[in-house]
This record gives sequence, structure tokens and C-alpha cells, in this order.
Amino acid sequence: MSDQGIKSRPAYGKITGDPAARHALLVVEGAGLPDELMAEGVDPSAFETWTVAHASTVPGAPVMDEAAGAVRPFRSARQLFSALEERLARETMGLRLCAAGTEPFLWDVFNIGAVAGLTRQEMQFAQMGPQARRIFCVHCRTVSEGITASIVTCAGCGASLFVRDHFSKRLAAFMAVQIDAEVPGEVPPSEEIYR
Amino acid sequence: MTVQFKPAETFRDTFTYKKSPEDILRFPFPFPEDEYMYSVNIEPHVKGGATPAFQAVFDIDEHYVGECRERERVLKEDPKRCQVLPHMMAAQWDTLELIMESLAADYPAHFTLSKAGDVWTWVNRPLGLHQTFTFGKPETLPCTPFEYITRQVQGDFTLQDQREDNLFVDGGMVTTQADWSLEFNIGMSFHEWHGPVPGVAHDRGVFDRALKYLLRLQYGQPVRRLNWTMTINPRLDTSPENYPVWGPDRTTVTADNVAEKVHLRVELQTLFRLPRSNAILFGIRCYLTSVSDIARVPKWRRRLHRVLRDLHPDLAEYKGMTRYRPLVVAHLAALDDGAPTSRGIAPDTDRLDG
Amino acid sequence: MTGTIPVRVREITALAPTLKRFAFEPAHGGAFPTAPAGGHVMLTLRDGARVMKNAYSLVSPPGARGRYEIIVRKVAQSRGGSAFLHAHVAAGDVLEMAPPVSLFPLAATARKHVLIAGGIGITPMLSFLAELQARGARFELHHLSSPEEVPVFERLLAPYAVDADIRVHGGGRAAFDLAGLLSRQPLGSHVYTCGPHSLMDAVGTTALALGWPRGSVHKESFGAAAGGLPFKAVLTRSGMEVMVGENQTLLEAIEAAGVAARCLCRGGACGECVTRVEEGEVDHRDDFLSDAEKAAGALIMPCVSRARGPRLVLDL
Ligand code: HEM
Ligand code: FES
Repeated sequence: MSDQGIKSRPAYGKITGDPAARHALLVVEGAGLPDELMAEGVDPSAFETWTVAHASTVPGAPVMDEAAGAVRPFRSARQLFSALEERLARETMGLRLCAAGTEPFLWDVFNIGAVAGLTRQEMQFAQMGPQARRIFCVHCRTVSEGITASIVTCAGCGASLFVRDHFSKRLAAFMAVQIDAEVPGEVPPSEEIYR
Repeated sequence: MTVQFKPAETFRDTFTYKKSPEDILRFPFPFPEDEYMYSVNIEPHVKGGATPAFQAVFDIDEHYVGECRERERVLKEDPKRCQVLPHMMAAQWDTLELIMESLAADYPAHFTLSKAGDVWTWVNRPLGLHQTFTFGKPETLPCTPFEYITRQVQGDFTLQDQREDNLFVDGGMVTTQADWSLEFNIGMSFHEWHGPVPGVAHDRGVFDRALKYLLRLQYGQPVRRLNWTMTINPRLDTSPENYPVWGPDRTTVTADNVAEKVHLRVELQTLFRLPRSNAILFGIRCYLTSVSDIARVPKWRRRLHRVLRDLHPDLAEYKGMTRYRPLVVAHLAALDDGAPTSRGIAPDTDRLDG
Repeated sequence: MTGTIPVRVREITALAPTLKRFAFEPAHGGAFPTAPAGGHVMLTLRDGARVMKNAYSLVSPPGARGRYEIIVRKVAQSRGGSAFLHAHVAAGDVLEMAPPVSLFPLAATARKHVLIAGGIGITPMLSFLAELQARGARFELHHLSSPEEVPVFERLLAPYAVDADIRVHGGGRAAFDLAGLLSRQPLGSHVYTCGPHSLMDAVGTTALALGWPRGSVHKESFGAAAGGLPFKAVLTRSGMEVMVGENQTLLEAIEAAGVAARCLCRGGACGECVTRVEEGEVDHRDDFLSDAEKAAGALIMPCVSRARGPRLVLDL
């Protein structure tokens, strides 16, 4: 993938956990445990894990304990997020929140954690799945999901937008800027690069 | 200090902005040497120094009224150019206190602050404002304390919270910026918001060292630096939001109009540790001077020519000068006699050529 | 920076046999700078030829600009500044005070502030309490005191105690359930501690053991002394020798001797003041030189770095 050399683009590693944690919650944007995203020697059963089944009937008999090793499936990411808000509101210090998923999912989790009072030191993120981007049109503030091309038309204002590597964790989105602002109509060919 | 204010000038459409000869000479020219590269060019913000722009804590000049009016217009179009995250309320009051006390001390003819306990009265004569309010009670002001006071000063301001050994830009008044968006950047850490700056700055450790220095910034010991870029026409609002509005200006430069159209845009950046909040207030005071006005100072025209001619291509590209830089360099080359220049930014003259 | 403000002792109040509150006003009128929440000042005390520099937390609220207050404990058998203040300083005396500095700030993003103080460690908390109440912030304060001083601290805290969770514990450390306290705090809590080292260490280790992140645990500190031992600098090109005092930087001493030295940031970051070292060992304190350059010892940043021995020879 191209690298525009912009340092605000997040870098991701594996889930290492934090030995100092009192309790660790791992939220996964998928049905299974992300074994390949666990750092070497880190045991997934050290985490309480929430998964997204992407199904209206979640598998039966889930373990609902708030304890290490428990796995709790959700029907959708949204459903997981609302449970996460409720859970964090009654949590106490010592919790670590880890997330594995696509970039927009990770930074949505980050913002839920931040609202609940978690600092960056108390959260950890590992990226998996498609590389499609969520973008923020800096001219009209429209947020578009699932962007795979280097240049796209803004759904809000119609501008031909170049997708920059400049990333806002608060907006959980990349910045998109009109590519032909100086000479309208001068739009280079778009490339499918975020897949 | 007393300043003769111009009646409101415009910084868009009609562009009636013009500098008096005194104003040209007090321009904080940003190049101490004939070449430029990113560095940690920070120094104590003490009065005195090479330019009159360093004489006040917050510099006010003849464009004060016009710039405040321009800010008002931008905020009407886009209120989110001023945003402060909720945890920065103490920093908002710190900012109001620092700016009001500094303006009243540096420009008693224009600003007066009187206090009866927590009840303060602020008089701003150039803008015709008279406000009594209770310090610490936001409901006694027409808008938040940070917005209230930064509407009355030239230049942009941001507020940085210090935590986790980093700085976070958690608020600002940003209407006269060189192509960066507060709405997009708010909440970012020091290295994140500097992410788009060319790699040469990061690779030379500029941001690592600057951050370490700022984390230690002490209350009562503000610092400053000069930053620069170029802007076509005397336009203050060169925000990414409005790039489709000002971007086309870059294609309008010709050999005939280059000296009038192209402006050196200098930011006098000041950094203050604030007392109650421990936040850092960052002032970004913007000065615009056309190439033709700069050319009236022999040292400055020689030096600007040499700096632009030899500028690292990544910096030229980042500053958006690619289209018109050759025209500026050609224009200035004809005015550069090759004579040596003195170190430092002072104009070395009190009379303008031409 | 070395500037000091002359301050006049306005009032001295005995709070307990070993505790006195000193109120200062600017000796030449006007107002003090707004005090940083949790900030401290450095007093220079002169007992004949003996000069003592002591740091004290300000206990007055940040907005109180007419008057700075400190509380000083006299330690038995001590010959230091605090004993001097107790025994020899009277109302009306003028002292030198360095402007306030803050190395113990409140966390702006905290959802809740937990303050834990022991004994005289209550002092920075008093300035926090005023600021937290002004902000309408959520907090609780626990103060550990000897049994006999419980009423003294209760009186000091009384102005803040209306509708606030403030408790003075006189039953000894063992009776104070630190782990219980720290384990029931909501996400986003910050803990601040000031008092005997054993208490501050206990708060730190207990919080970390419970999984608190380091950045949420704050211990009072007056910082490392900026200066160091005096030494001599020989400037070969200028043909001069300058003495660098303990509260002076090498750069300041060079400037005081009238030698024009290049500098910009005066904080070890810009690189402008870099100077070649011809002899002597350097105590590097800058962020500019690389580790390799520091190890080689051929360069020094005089704005922050000093000699490790009695003498440095510089190419200046
Ligand atoms: C703490 C407050 C500061 C804030 C809020 C701030 C903000 C910014 C922003 C928003 C940009 C533009 C980035 C973009 O293209 O999107 C920038 C550029 C830059 N900043 Fe800062 N900055 C701060 C302090 C500093 C300091 C202390 C230095 C010292 C070296 C510095 C050096 C630079 C440089 C070299 C650039 C590139 C400018 C150019 O080439 O035009 N900044 N800064
Ligand atoms: S003056 Fe900047 S490093 Fe010494």
C-alpha cells in the first residue's frame, strides 16, 4: 500500500495484554478469537472476550460471566458498542480494553473507551480484516464508509476527494481533501488501494 | 504603546489590506540566515529583540480592527472554528486572564481591566466593548471565556492539555490558519497533529526535541518561534475547509503580478504555561507582507531570494508553492545584487526603498 | 531563571506546636502572579552567612493574588530553613521568593480526583481543594494524621468540608484501607499523594498493583534541583575563567562575564549553543546531543549542562 509519510496514520501491533491489569476485556469484530493477532505467548483465555457474530441469532449458551476466559457473542458491532458503554460506566480502575477489527471499528471502540475515562495507556488495538477507510470530507464534514479508492466523489458536496493518510482518532476517520481545488476538473485517475 | 488603527480592511474578495511603511518595517521577517531548514527555533518570549513585534506579550498592530472583523465573519460562516473540549474550562479562564491582563498592561490606551474581587470590568476601546462579568462564571459572558477573549486578539490560539507525557490540542480559535483544520485535529497528540509535516522535520528529531522542551515549559517563562509559508493575496482564512475557495488563487500568479499577489506569511508563535489548568496556550499570530513590500528592504529581498531559490523541494511542495515559486524566485533574482547579508532578522534600515 | 520577588511577611499563625502558617504579600505592592494549582515557591533564607533555599507548596487558592500562604512544620532538631522560619522570621520581615512553579498539576481529564495526604503533605491538597471546588469537580480526600493533630487538620479542612468527601484518619496507617479505597474508584480516576515517602510509595505501589496506569498516579515533587555543584569554566578563546555558581547555568555565567555566546531556546533543545569541550568531564542534561555525542564528551550545551568535576575547558 502507498505511504504518504504522514505520521498521524496509526500503526498497529498485536494484542500483548498488560500484566499489570486487574482485568482485561477484548472486543473482536468477528465471530472467532483472533489467535493470529495475539502476541507470542499471550493466552486468549486471559481475556474476557466479546465477539460479533453478524447474525440475528447468536450461538446458544454463551458464557456470560464477566471473567477471564468467558466469551460473549453479540449480533452486531452496534449491539456490542451499547453493551460496552453500559459496562464501562460501572467499571473500576485497573481495566484494560483491547480491540481487534477493522480500523473504523477500533477507533469507535477507542472513543467509547475515552468517553468512559480510559486513557490511551489503558487501551490496545490490533487491526484485521479489510483495509477500507472511513473518510471525513474536510469541506462539508460528510463521513463516508468503506472507501477503497485513492480518489472518490464526496457523497455530501460532490467534490472529488483525495484520501490522505492524516487520521483523526476522535473522528475515527481519514481526512479527505478536494484534489482539483486549484484547477477544477484536473482529477488524476483513481486507484483501488485500500482493500 | 498606542497604535493608529486602520478602518476595517478586507482579507478576501476586495482585499483592501495594505501596510503602512512603519508596518512593513515592524514585520517579523522569519529568516535569520540565507538558508532555511526546520529546526527547534524556540527562544524565550521576552520583550525586546530584533523586531517591534516582540515588544508586547500579544502584539497588536494597525490591522487589529480589520482582523477582528474578519474573524467575526469566519465564525458566522462556521462557528466550529472555535471549539474547546469540556475538560479545558480552567484553561479557558486562564487564557482570558492572561490575555486581558497582558493587553491592559501593554496597551493601556486601548484596553482597561478593573477588578472588584471576582467581578471584572473589561473595556476594549478599538472594538467599542465594555463588559462586566464574574471571573469563573461563564454565564456572565456572552460566549465562553476563551471565545470571548480570542475574538478580541489578532491571530489564532490553541489550547494544549498535558497528560501521559504528551500534549493534546484540546481546543482552539482557528480562523486565520495556514491550511490545517481544528475540527479535524482537535484531540490529537503533538506528533499526530504534526503528522503531515515533511519527513525531514521528523527525521531530524525536531518534534521529539520540541515536545520534550514544551513538556518542561514553566509558568511565567513563555517562549516563541517564527514559522512561515506563502499565501496568494492577503487572505487570512486559508483553511482546508475553504481550500476550494482559495486554492484557485495559486493559478493566478503571473510575472506581472507576482510581487503584489504573493505574500510571505509569518506566524509569530508564542507558548505559555497556564496556572490553574497547567495547559499550554499556543498563540499563532499571522503577519502578511507582499513580495513587493519585502523588496523595499535590501537585506530582506536578498535573503528571501536566496532562501526560496535553495528551499528543500519537500518544504516547497508542503507549503503549496510548487506552481508559483519559479516566478517569485525569478522576480527576486533580478533584485539580488549578491551582497552579503547580516545575521539575524532585523531589517538593518529605518527607511524603505522605492 | 534566577529572578526573585521580595515578599513581606504579613501574618504568622500558629496552628499547632510545630505548625505555622505564613502569609506573604508583595513587598512593593501590586499582586502576585496567579498561583498554579499544586504549585510551590522557593524561599531564600539567610541566617547570617548561611543561605538556605526551601521549597513550600502554596496553600492559598490560585485566584488569591494579594496574598500567598504556606504552612511550615518545624522538625525536631532540624537546623534547616523550616526551623529558621519558625524561630527567627517575624511579621514585617522581607524575604526573597522565587515565582511559583508547578510540577504537581491536576489532571484536566480526570473523572474523579482522589487525594491522599499524610501530615504536612496536606499543603498542596489545600490549593487543589479550592481549584476542584471552583471547577465543580468530583473528588474525595483522605488525610492521615497523628491522633493528637486530628483536630488541627480538621480545622484546616473545615472550609472545604461542606458537602465534600473529606476525611481525617487518626488511627494509623494500618487502619487505613488504601487498597479498598483504590479498588473502588471509577474509570478515569486520578490519585494524588503527598506526605512521607513511605505513604507516597504505598499509594504508588498499591495503585499499580491494582492495575492503575502510571499516568493516573501523581506524587508531589519539587523537581530535581536545576543547578548543581559550582565549578570553574576556562574559556580559551576569550582567555577568561568564570566561576559557575550552584544556582546558575554555565551559559548564564558566560554571559555574566560579558562573553557573547550563541543561544536560542536556553533549554537544551535547539542546538544553537553547542560548544567544544577541550578538557573536563560533562554532566549532559540536554535533549540535543545524541547518546554517542554525549559519551564522546567533546561537546556541551552550556544552557543546561554542567561540569561533572571542578573544571571545564571550553573552546569559547
Ligand atoms: C504546541 C503547540 C503547537 C501546535 C498546536 C502546532 C500546530 C501545528 C500545525 C497544525 C501544523 C500544520 C500541520 C499540517 O500540515 O496539518 C504545524 C506545522 C509545523 N509545526 Fe507546529 N505546532 C505547535 C508547536 C510547534 C513547535 C513548538 C514547533 C517547534 C519546532 C513546531 C514546528 C512546526 C513545523 C516546523 C511545522 C511545519 C510548518 C511549515 O513548514 O509550514 N510546532 N504545527
Ligand atoms: S540554547 Fe538551545 S540548546 Fe542551548
